[in-house]
Amino acid sequence: MRLAESPITVATPRGVAVKHAWQKHLLGFLMVFGPGLIVMEADNDAGAVSTYMQAGGQYGLHLLWLLIVLLPICYFVQEMVARLGIATGKGHAAMIYERFGKWWGHFSLIDLLAVNFLTLITEFAAISLALSALGVSPYISVPVSAIGLTLMVVTGSYLRWERIVIVLCLMDLAWFVLAFIVHPGWVGVARSTVHPGMPAGGITSSLIFLVIAIVGTTIAPWQLFFQQSCVAEKRLRFADLKWARLDTLIGSIFTVCVAGAMMLVGNYGYQHGIVFQDPAQFANAVLPSLGHFARNALLLLMVNAAVLGTTAISLASAWAYGEVKGWEHSLHKKLWEAPGFYATYIGCVGAAAAIVLIPHVPLQLVIISVQVFAGVILPSAIIFLQLLLNDRELLGERWVNRPWNNYINWTIIIVLFALSLLLAAQVMLPNLFQ
Amino acid sequence: MSTMRITPEMNRFVVIHPLDDVAEQKCSSEGLGHIRMTHGVRISLRILRGYLVLMTLMLGYHVLDLAGVLQKLR
Repeated sequence: MRLAESPITVATPRGVAVKHAWQKHLLGFLMVFGPGLIVMEADNDAGAVSTYMQAGGQYGLHLLWLLIVLLPICYFVQEMVARLGIATGKGHAAMIYERFGKWWGHFSLIDLLAVNFLTLITEFAAISLALSALGVSPYISVPVSAIGLTLMVVTGSYLRWERIVIVLCLMDLAWFVLAFIVHPGWVGVARSTVHPGMPAGGITSSLIFLVIAIVGTTIAPWQLFFQQSCVAEKRLRFADLKWARLDTLIGSIFTVCVAGAMMLVGNYGYQHGIVFQDPAQFANAVLPSLGHFARNALLLLMVNAAVLGTTAISLASAWAYGEVKGWEHSLHKKLWEAPGFYATYIGCVGAAAAIVLIPHVPLQLVIISVQVFAGVILPSAIIFLQLLLNDRELLGERWVNRPWNNYINWTIIIVLFALSLLLAAQVMLPNLFQ
Repeated sequence: MSTMRITPEMNRFVVIHPLDDVAEQKCSSEGLGHIRMTHGVRISLRILRGYLVLMTLMLGYHVLDLAGVLQKLR
């Protein structure tokens, strides 16, 4: 293990004085808090809202248990990312380039940029859909959203961006209000959460597809790149690891609970025979029974999910590209100090927004491509993560995975490999399982 | 270079934000070159290559299927 001085130095550290140990711990945690919550909650993006609500709409409460299974998986994967980010102070893309060479570096980067860009198109499509249902023309909603998303990052302050995004994450608490409004039957919810049950009709191709889609939407490739870059951007120190872990754990629990609330809302459709293709259609269908508040809240939460997803995914692309190109790639920099980094972010956001405004864009093809690309990149990104976390030459004994880490993580990787392969096979060869 | 500092004379803790703290030395790959090709790394990368080849073949099959080439062959 070699130690390198970070290029950023601050001559005189400023601090906050507190009297009690508990204040020290609380403040220490709050200063580190952010990346873990953001990476998890931004994963509940527009595609996730649609997937979780469809799961509730088609299978009621039967798939709730899956979220409990996914909770530790989310945590273990992202904990590795946070640990690697703190140990190296560098992003995931840069580490793949440096340790695995240009071929794997280019492969990971190009795949990441492609899947992220296609995902961004779906996010803007969701913004357009939800705000159209509220009477706002896409020709207004989409450009305004793109401008707002750009203004969020060009302030030259990481902390300002982080605070705005944390507020957006906390807005997702409204999903719990909606879950209460739809009266799902809490005894049944508790039972389905801990007891896996078979939906009526048994195991079908559509059920398998939805299960894989839930796994795929809960653990997305961009999350690995995003959190590591975010941790490096925030310059978290070795001593911050315990708080970064707690942040990641809180983020995992929060995101799984919000995902559960989305399923409960979708379950309302299952209970009342409401068939829907997307959340906006569902929101309009429940207007007579649940009223304007529920409808508008659903549509606005869909927009919030898309905005959160867009800013995190675009940043993941911009950070990764900037790291590999050797550009300045920091939200601490002004627009003119890191032009390539900001141009990548703005380019991704602007191009995705523009594509959505083109009439008759084949969105279905975009969604399928996202699934295929995600199927390709997730296992490879996780393999590199696992290998890097076992790289004693780079990390030394202090930061590498412990044997129990490796048992858990290799199990997760094997399962994700199998599911990704199955998902890609089902998307590309739809007749294979019939 | 720590998150918390104790100032004994004042009996207080000083908590420093990571962005305000002095930089600490990180694990660096400088001069290390590529990762050492241990048995585990080699097997993992081979599996990954195999997986990618399989995905490419499936994608190729799907494209040919969509283009109607496979139906003509049948």
